[in-house]
Amino acid sequence: MNKPVTNVASASADLSRTPAASNNVTDNTITPAGGKSMRDFWQWMFSPERRGAMLVAPALIMLFLMNIFPLMWSFGLSFFHYKASSIRPPRFAGFYYYEKVLTDPVVWERLQTTAQIVALSVLLQMVIGFAMALMFEKKFPFRRELLMLVLTPMMLSFVAVGVFFKLFYEPTFGILSQGYAYFFGEPLTLLATKWGAIWAIVIADAWMWSPFVMLLVLAGLVSVPDYLYEAAAVDRASWWRRFKTVTFPYVRGLLLLALLFRTIETFKIFDVVYIITAGGPGTSTETIAVYVYKVAFQFFKTSQSSALSYILLFVVIVLTNLYLYFVNRRNEEI
Amino acid sequence: MKHKLNILGALTAGIFATGLAVTATEVSAKDIVINMAGPDWGPTRFLQEKFNKTYKAKSGNNVKLVFDFIPWPNFYDRVAASLTSGEKKYQMVVSDSQWIGTFIEGGHFLKLNKYIDADPTLQAIMKDTHPAFVEAYATYPHKSKNYYGFPQFPDTKMTWFRKDLFCHAGEKAAFKAKFGGTLPCTYAEWKDTDWKTWASIGEFFRRNKGDKLGDGVAADDFYGIAYQAGKGLDFSSMQINAFIWQHGGSIWDEANEPKAQAVGVVNNAASVKGFQHYLDLLKWSPPVAKTGQMDIFVIQELIMQGKVAAIINWAGLAPPALDPKNSKHAKQIDFALTPGLRGKDGKISRWDNIGGQPFVLTTWNSDEVTMEALEIVKWWMSPEVQLDFAKNGGESGLMSVMARSDYNSIRPWNRAHVELLDWQKDVWHVPEFFEMLTQQQEEFDKAITGQKTAKQALDAIAKFQQDLLTEAGRIQ
Repeated sequence: MNKPVTNVASASADLSRTPAASNNVTDNTITPAGGKSMRDFWQWMFSPERRGAMLVAPALIMLFLMNIFPLMWSFGLSFFHYKASSIRPPRFAGFYYYEKVLTDPVVWERLQTTAQIVALSVLLQMVIGFAMALMFEKKFPFRRELLMLVLTPMMLSFVAVGVFFKLFYEPTFGILSQGYAYFFGEPLTLLATKWGAIWAIVIADAWMWSPFVMLLVLAGLVSVPDYLYEAAAVDRASWWRRFKTVTFPYVRGLLLLALLFRTIETFKIFDVVYIITAGGPGTSTETIAVYVYKVAFQFFKTSQSSALSYILLFVVIVLTNLYLYFVNRRNEEI
Repeated sequence: MKHKLNILGALTAGIFATGLAVTATEVSAKDIVINMAGPDWGPTRFLQEKFNKTYKAKSGNNVKLVFDFIPWPNFYDRVAASLTSGEKKYQMVVSDSQWIGTFIEGGHFLKLNKYIDADPTLQAIMKDTHPAFVEAYATYPHKSKNYYGFPQFPDTKMTWFRKDLFCHAGEKAAFKAKFGGTLPCTYAEWKDTDWKTWASIGEFFRRNKGDKLGDGVAADDFYGIAYQAGKGLDFSSMQINAFIWQHGGSIWDEANEPKAQAVGVVNNAASVKGFQHYLDLLKWSPPVAKTGQMDIFVIQELIMQGKVAAIINWAGLAPPALDPKNSKHAKQIDFALTPGLRGKDGKISRWDNIGGQPFVLTTWNSDEVTMEALEIVKWWMSPEVQLDFAKNGGESGLMSVMARSDYNSIRPWNRAHVELLDWQKDVWHVPEFFEMLTQQQEEFDKAITGQKTAKQALDAIAKFQQDLLTEAGRIQ
């Protein structure tokens, strides 16, 4: 009964000296076939040749249960007639829902709205982020403290930011409206029109994520060697020339990464929109993510929402591959 | 001595027998936990508190009621996600009346007829429950004899007004001078208030910052009237339906499927007129109305913070308005009937959309749990508990309780609530309701924010409902 344990102890001792020899010992002595005790079993499980697999197994199992299985399951459902709220069993539908989604004018309208928000928000984030990075590249009093403050928005939860901006825009009590009324005599009803509501979302999103762009660009800016600027100064290069030929090439790669990353993230924008406008007025600011949520969890059109989600996933995968391509290219540059 | 011994023996035997009985009860008593999903607000909090303090199961079991208090804005999503996921977490659910079709057809809510038929107490409760609540909260298909729920919190909308303004002699005189009518102050005056007077109130109380208002001056821009105009949940629909019904318009009649049509009914001339009437009055509301975000919580806040003179809102939200911790005008807010549409005969039509929630049982419970849940229903619907609920801010669903001579004076909104019950109707209960409601809310919102006319919005709603309900086999 004690024999395998003794062998394991010696095997462990061997392991520290000669791995190959110890493996042989383990193979010969610790096998579940013996089945003598739980201890034997655990030792068999975590024998050196299995240890790696065993250590990653929990993560793989979690990944499979939480990500891969639901993904495959919902992919399967997109080919069936199925509603989560109904007790009727799924019926095969083929590509019916893919066809339905791709020919649905509402989907294209929501994609158009999403594109408008993405274009405006990402542009604003790039401009503000770049400007802030240029500012923080220089040394000035309280730079560190100010930098920490500027980074705060992206550390807040989406819900908190959404609620904050909703109150900010509220026309009766909101500070923005109060300030506007002070100068113009009338309250500001920003969320009453399509473009007002779109800008309201864009401002909230840009406020939250411009610091992220700034961080990336700042990393590029500080990596520019000083001697290049010194050489440019000797050549009496103008500010614009210095920026174009020295600074920008160093930050271009990171800027592109920021652009892609923010485009992917903004494409999926949900929380801020849902809280600030709930897609309104009417459906003017209903992004594709809000629409998917509505179809899936309010209308319980499970198959249709699955099909739509896979089409969106495809778009995100394309963008992600672009992102990875540029990441790899930058790594090669470095 | 023998006699004493006999007594001692009898006592010993008695104690032994009692001990055995107690032990037997303890052995047979089971721990039963009933998880109930409910919105996080006063009526459900009171139920939990009252239960914890007073409930004793007649069966001798240790019955525990555990509420999952869910914030209102996420209530439907959370309950729907739980029920449809198959987790079988809840034994009881405080459901909104419109949901019941979805979850009955989904196999989640339990039909109660056989339990009611077998229990005289439940039969008495059903008989004593106001018909408006039975129809809206319990029946599916709507107005059928299939019963699924009991009133947890029956609710109606009413007028909340600032009596310091409406009963102010100077304001009353100024109103009479400008509009020729009476600025309503007493219950009787409010009972005679129609939408025309409501519009006049809106115009009359529109004051700019610094203007005279009652005994003082307006600290900020001040507005006359407000009612629901919010895109979320069912906010706009709850108020717009009142206008549509009062003008003689209709919504799709689920009780008459598959003959009932949507096109030509939902968008008929009377419905359009009713909706337009609703839109016309919004101009006297605070600017948030223009954003389509003036929901029940916003109008509650508007009156509590002194931004508006009168609102129309649910009784269920009234208690905080009378609490000085929440409300700047806790002592000045009073309640009255809602305005209505005056007909040619001078009578006022007050059709409105019923509110409130039933509680229902889920289908996966064991018989033992079901019986214990029904015991909780019986306890909650008992006159004593219902009366205590009313005293603590709730409303009773029982006609016998509402008929008590002291009922109307228990809380300041009770009189209006009781009087308005006969004017209540409900929206649809079919499983397609959420899709219908969402699309309707979006179209209403487009009209509220000026993107569409009343007719265009109702045409779009009618077409959508016709297509959806035809596809679902509910319209032939």
